[in-house]
Parts: sequence; C-alpha cells; structure tokens
Amino acid sequence: MYRSLSVRQKQIVWAWAFLAIPVVFYAVIRFYPTFNAMVISFQDWNLLGDRAWAGWKNYDKLWNDPVFWKVFKNTFVYLLIGTPVSLVVSFAIAYHLDKLRFMHGFLRMLYFLPFMTSAVAMAWVWRWFYQPVPIGLFNNFLAATGIPQIEFLRSTSFALPAILAPAVWAGLGFQVIIFMAGLRAIPRSYYEAARIDGVSNWTVLFEITIPLLKPTIVFIVVFSSIGFLRIFDHVFNMTTGDPGGPLNSTKPLVLMIYQSAFTDFNMGYAAAQTVVLFLILLIVSLVQLRILRDR
Amino acid sequence: MASLVLRDIVKKFDNTEVLHGLSLSVEDGEFVVFVGPSGCGKSTTLRLIAGLEETTSGEIEIEGRLVNHLEPKDRNIAMVFQNYAIYPHMTVRKNIGFGLRTSKLSKADKKARLEEVAATLDMTELLGRKPSQLSGGQRQRVAIGRAMVRDPAVFLFDEPLSNLDAQLRTQMRLEIKKLHQRVGNTIIFVTHDQVEAMTMADRIVIMKDGYIQQVGTPAEVYHKPANTFVAQFIGAPSMNMLSGEVAGGTVRLGSESEIETDLALEDGRPVLIGVRPEDLYPGGADILVWGQVTVREPLGPETLIYVGTEQGEVIAKADGRNPPEVGEQVKLSAQPESIHFFDTITGEALT
Repeated sequence: MYRSLSVRQKQIVWAWAFLAIPVVFYAVIRFYPTFNAMVISFQDWNLLGDRAWAGWKNYDKLWNDPVFWKVFKNTFVYLLIGTPVSLVVSFAIAYHLDKLRFMHGFLRMLYFLPFMTSAVAMAWVWRWFYQPVPIGLFNNFLAATGIPQIEFLRSTSFALPAILAPAVWAGLGFQVIIFMAGLRAIPRSYYEAARIDGVSNWTVLFEITIPLLKPTIVFIVVFSSIGFLRIFDHVFNMTTGDPGGPLNSTKPLVLMIYQSAFTDFNMGYAAAQTVVLFLILLIVSLVQLRILRDR
Repeated sequence: MASLVLRDIVKKFDNTEVLHGLSLSVEDGEFVVFVGPSGCGKSTTLRLIAGLEETTSGEIEIEGRLVNHLEPKDRNIAMVFQNYAIYPHMTVRKNIGFGLRTSKLSKADKKARLEEVAATLDMTELLGRKPSQLSGGQRQRVAIGRAMVRDPAVFLFDEPLSNLDAQLRTQMRLEIKKLHQRVGNTIIFVTHDQVEAMTMADRIVIMKDGYIQQVGTPAEVYHKPANTFVAQFIGAPSMNMLSGEVAGGTVRLGSESEIETDLALEDGRPVLIGVRPEDLYPGGADILVWGQVTVREPLGPETLIYVGTEQGEVIAKADGRNPPEVGEQVKLSAQPESIHFFDTITGEALT
C-alpha cells in the first residue's frame, strides 16, 4: 500500500511518523494537564478526596484575597525591573565584550557560568552573602566602611531587590551570548560606511546597531519576561523558613500557587491562580510581540 | 592636478606583506580601475585610500594633502561597498541623507542637495521606500547616491557590481560610466572582472600578488601587454601561449613555421609567443600551428575552436557560419603584427 503512494504523500507519511512522538508528548504531558488544571480551577479538591464542582468560587476568592493582589504586584515588580535591567546590563556587557580581543573567551565563560549553575546552589550562596555580620559578605563590607547594617532579606523594602539581583545575574550570561551573536551578524561594512560618513559613535549605536539588533532584542525581552513572571526558585530558596519574605514582600505568583497546592492542599485555588498566571503570560507575550514587531 | 597620489605603499597584516611598495598617480577626473585576481591586493589598496586600514609605510595624498593620519571622514572621499551597506531599517531618503550627517550645510541646503542627487540618479519617487522594497539595481543606486551627496574629491567603488546578475551588471556599468561623464569626479573602481575594467576605465591598473603589473589605457593593456600575466588576464578567452626559439631574425615555432621579427635577440634564445584567439584563424597564409579540432563553441557571429597541436591545445576563432568540423585538420594563421613575444623566464614582453 505504501508503495502506491506518490513521493509527496510518502514525505507526508514520514513527516507524521517523526512528528508522532512530540505530538503524543505534548498531548499527554502538556495539553492534558493544562486542560485538567483549567477544569480543577472550577472544583474543590484536596488531592486525595473527591472533586466537587465549585463554579467561580475559587476565582471569586482570588479576587477578594489581599495576598493575591500583593503577590500580583510583586510579580510585576520582578518583571518591570528585572527585564529592563537585565536587557541594558547584558547589552552593555555584550557590546564591550564584542570589541575586546584580550581574554575574550575566558570573560565570556565567566559571564556564562552563572547560567549553568544550579539556581538552588546560587540562591543559597547569595543568601549567605546577605546575612548580618560577621557572616554576610555585604554587611561585613558595609561595617568596614562604617555604613549601618542592612537587613537585606528581613526588610520589606530591600528583600525583593535583594532576590532580584541574583536572578538578573543568573540570566545575564545567556543574554550576553545572544546579544553577541546578534552583534556579530551585523555586516562590518555598515560600520565602515558610517566611519566614512564620519558620524559619532553615539549615532552609530542608536541609529545602526540597536535598530539592527531589534529581532535579538524582541527575543530577549520575551524570553526574560517569561522568566521573571515565573520566578520561583530564587525566592523559595532565599526565603525558606519564611517563604515569600516578610509580609509577603517577595512572594511571586508561582510561590503562592505552590503554597496553595502543597502547603494548604487546596488544588482548586492553586489551579485558579495557575490559569491567571497563564493568562498573564499570554497577554504579556502577545503585547510585547505586537509592540516590538516591525511597524 | 593629481587628485590622488600613492607613494611606495607597503601594507603588512601581522607579518604577511600584501602590498610591496605601490606607487601611482591619478589625475583629477580620471576613472581608474584596479583589476586583478582575488588576493592581489586591489581591495586592500582601496581600503588604504579610504582610511579603513592603515598603511605600514608609504604616503597617500588626496588633492595634494597628505592623508595618512586622517580619519576616513576627513579625507574627502566616499565609498560604495560591495554589499552596498545601505541600512535596511532606513528609508532611501535617510540612507542618502546619512552621508550628509556631519556636513555643515544648513538643513534647507542639505535637503536641496539630497533632492538634486536623487534627481541625478533618477530615484526621486523612490525616496520614501525602504531598501527591502527596491530591486538590486535600485539599491546600488542608493549606495551611489549616499556617496554622491558628499561631493567628494575621490569616489571609491569596491566591486560594486558583483552582486548583480549579468544583465543588470552591464546596465549599471553603463550608468556609472555615464554618471562619471556627467559629474566628472575622480573614480577609483575595484573589480576582478576584466570586462568591467576594459569598458569603464580611462586607465587600468592590473595587479597581482601585491605588485602593479601594468598601468595603461584599455587599448594599451590589450595591445601592448607588459607581461604574460597581463596578456592572459585581459581578453577572453585568454591569449594562447606557444614556445619558440630565436633563429637569425626569425622566431622558429615547432618544426616548420617561422615568424619574421625585427627584435634584436641572440640566436637560440627561447621565447614565448602570444596570440589572442581572435587573431588566430583557420586558413590564411601566415601559418603558425596546425592540428585537429577537438571542441567547437558557437557564439553566433563566430565560433571558437579548440585545436590540439604539438604545442598543446590552442583556441582560435572561426567563421560563425561555416566552422570546421570536430576532428577536422586545420592550419591556423595569424598576422605578424598581432603576435606578441615574451621572455620565457621573466614573462616580460620583448620589444
């Protein structure tokens, strides 16, 4: 029967044969749980007992939960500070590293290293940095210069930035590599033509380099936004004992979901939050793609 | 006045010397084409003139001013790149205007200058477009336009036609030549294509391995090549090279043919005999070589025939209507005045 097919049909058969595994994988491991989560968000379930229909109850509870709004705000603070800061810092590093020949490979490796390190190990090392004297690196430094101690992780105003800093640092290596690839892809003759025209380095940066890096920037913005919206392991590991920091000051949405599900065993409520997170991710990504696409 | 002077230019990249003491003087308004195989140093020379590379030693003068230590923007030059280097995210207007960014003209003057250039290049209606909406030839014109608005003393072209298809290349070749006749600036044009060099240049500079082989008008380099390299590089198909020996006022070629010559050379000296395929034809009285036709290439008005002789394969031109058949024995002749002699060892022309 296979023999009687045309070349085109045979190609289609083979394409589907190869696609079958990822299709099954996505259906069973991704889509089924996703839809199941949406269903659970309309139910009450403690993981062991029966599921009971609850209608919009979970969403209603979420809407009226002050902790959720605090968490919602935190999540966007992570996003709105983390993404621009990491974008600017990684571009600045890539831009200068690209011009550097001396120890280029070694420096690139140094920047990439944190990206390969386990987030848990990194979070605990940073947590140690933030401790009071005589343990914490930063407070020792402050003490030596005579500046008062900062309770980095125990302060409602400093805890979130203190956690965001290592999260930004961890993602930097990857973004630097992507930016450098983008910079390398710009033809040298564009810069040579600009040199002959005699425009300033500033003009070259803002009118040639950055516009031509737009596809790279779109990718990094979307990619890192999703990362910051889903931030969890840094927060969880740096604030164990009091997950979410003092007065929920560092708690992101994913941590709230985790606690609802595996501390309170309130699966319906956790699922409702998951659906909200999904919608936020979807909207943010679509908006970014829309704004940053070629106009 | 000479608008460009190169004096003993040497260029080394690390320890490799790629230009070995180049000297050349270009007159104001001259169209000079640098031609040579890849790696001959022609593009490097252009980049040195532009200031994109620094000379290892030697002097470059533009309009009587030493420019060795000047930035490209201060050298009063403009350059058109092989890939055009026009910015994809800017409109044609902005791209051309980029050349005027640092100019001290007033805004109105800049605009007038830009419109004038656009009109000269016949692309006024394209000013609002992005490069992606332009054809290859139009992009080429934008690149030329960006160079033109600067009104430089010297235009530098770095193989600007090699990205175009054959038909468009012929057309742009003509357009650039016309433009030069109209605008009259000095042009230095780099190419690897000898046809481009022949058709466009006032003077051709033929380079090989970092040395200038010959400088001359298209007619000079074609009719009086300085050496075997120039002889074979200029003209397509390449000049045939046969070996012969001087024998008392004549050059003996193979066993039976002799060429009369007034060259004063000692007897027994081996020489190379160069004959262009278009000067070598079947029949005729001044028979040079003979052999069997192995391949025919009909070109319409004429047919190229490849003939296996005792000196190896030679190419000759036969009539387009009644060329000899493959396998046929032919005797090939050439007029004595169309024959070139070269030294066997140095390759230099013997005159």
